Amino acid sequence: MNKRKPFAAVCLYLFVFIVCVVTLYPYFVTFITASKSITEMYAADMTVFPKVWQWSNFVDIWSKAPVLKYLLNSIMVAGGATLLAILCGVPAAYAMARMRFRGKSFFLGAVIMSQMFAPVVLLVGIYKLMVNLSLTNSLLGLILLDAAFNQAFAIWLLRGTFLSISPDMEQAAKIDGCGTVRSLTRVLLPMAAPGIVTTLIFVFINAWNEYTIALTLISNDALKPLTVGINTFYGYNFIQWQYLFATSLFATIPVIVLFLLIEKHLVAGLTSGGVKG
Amino acid sequence: MKNRSPVKRLEPYLWMLPSMALMCVMIVIPIVTVFRLAMSKISKAGIVKGFNGLDNFKSVMASPTFSHILLNTLVWTIAVVGISTLLGFILGMVLNQPFKGRKFVRAVVVFPWATSLIIQALVWKYMLNADYGALNVLLLKLGIIKEYINWFATWQATFAWECWVGIFVTVPFVTFCVLSGLQSIDAAYYEAAEIDGANFWHKLGNITLPLVRPSLTVATVLNIIYVFNSFPIIWTMSKGAPADKTHTLVTYLYQLAFSNGKSGEAAAVSVIGFIILCICAGVYMVMTLKAEGKES
Repeated sequence: MNKRKPFAAVCLYLFVFIVCVVTLYPYFVTFITASKSITEMYAADMTVFPKVWQWSNFVDIWSKAPVLKYLLNSIMVAGGATLLAILCGVPAAYAMARMRFRGKSFFLGAVIMSQMFAPVVLLVGIYKLMVNLSLTNSLLGLILLDAAFNQAFAIWLLRGTFLSISPDMEQAAKIDGCGTVRSLTRVLLPMAAPGIVTTLIFVFINAWNEYTIALTLISNDALKPLTVGINTFYGYNFIQWQYLFATSLFATIPVIVLFLLIEKHLVAGLTSGGVKG
Repeated sequence: MKNRSPVKRLEPYLWMLPSMALMCVMIVIPIVTVFRLAMSKISKAGIVKGFNGLDNFKSVMASPTFSHILLNTLVWTIAVVGISTLLGFILGMVLNQPFKGRKFVRAVVVFPWATSLIIQALVWKYMLNADYGALNVLLLKLGIIKEYINWFATWQATFAWECWVGIFVTVPFVTFCVLSGLQSIDAAYYEAAEIDGANFWHKLGNITLPLVRPSLTVATVLNIIYVFNSFPIIWTMSKGAPADKTHTLVTYLYQLAFSNGKSGEAAAVSVIGFIILCICAGVYMVMTLKAEGKES
């Protein structure tokens, strides 16, 4: 550090500065545009900043479209998918981290391979399945699908966490007469809390940001999540960018905050879980 | 271990049952359905009219746009993953240096990773609009351009911008994977190399790259899958227009299935997509196995 040349330091700061400007620019535009009036939006003499800050846009969106409904739908879908993904993922990851059984590497391989199948390539099949189950236009349908398509990541992250914790404590608990379930819930899970929280938040964000499945399965306006609902403001011949971006900010900011909370754990989990395999 | 009761032997499978059941119903059944539909004649109303062999594949392949779309998919995947990996690697190296404000920059880099793809695609679509886009306004005010530029003048330009947005959202993931790899490298290696008089490039080639490679490989493999399957950016920015020139496989199959009512052909495109990804996965596995064989 102390012997770094001034030239190198200038280069580093310049590079970092450009990265920050380019990365933040779209967010800046989102905020600025969300604060413009509709007349300024399409005016001939456009300005970078709004001439009049139209703060009322952030209030108006809630009455212009069922944005509150969209928001609640997003919370329900992301919350439900997270809960389901963890309830299914923890026991599976536990078995794959702590137990020896026939076909274990087959199951691990299947879990990793399942990531190859993104919802969009299966959409024709998913649509057919959901029609047969009468789960189109249903939040439950989105919850089931989001949970399923996040199983691979959840198991991967959780198994990595469990493997990084020594099994000695659980064995001690078993000697003391605890069953497998109790040694899992009382001993392992509390120690694995950081990894579990990371998984929870990660699945929540994925389900919150999911667009393709919801676009295809939900046509009832009252059941749309935010990602699909914001398109209400994207009319065929008239786009209300200011409302669209004001709503986008409500969809974006909570997730960025959550992401910043887990950033450190997430990356460690992703790569270590994968490499350990 | 030898005399385990049947219940004990079944136990691991019971633990995995909920997860496996969920994945079987929601992932495996659609996979089977896609393969079945790909070989079925389907009416516009979506009613299956029976087996028709490889007819759907033939009609997909016969369309002149299809080879163009395959090429687009290849360009899209390679350009986005390749450039993101390079930029992410450089950014990861920089963010591993101690400097003032590093925490802030790391937080900023997370933003595109956390934001929904559909929202980012909409923002870029707005910024690049020829008549009122924020980029034209900014460049004009700064005096860099004299009049508004039509950023989407040709399909090539549109596609290039879509690739750029793809890169923009992919870089953070690579950066953080590289960072986690770099942080696990023992500083003693570098100290020893410095004593031996190694310069920056020696250290990069002989210490950093080999030790970061596992994290970089994981990031690249996952990115190839994600980017290949990436739908919202292109669908939002151009929907494949003009004249199906900016489609990739996934946006094309979506259009076939849900705009044109050709589920059978869409399923055939899905199957072709699987086959391509399976080949990639196969190559990756062979490479990993070979690398492991060398190490042991």
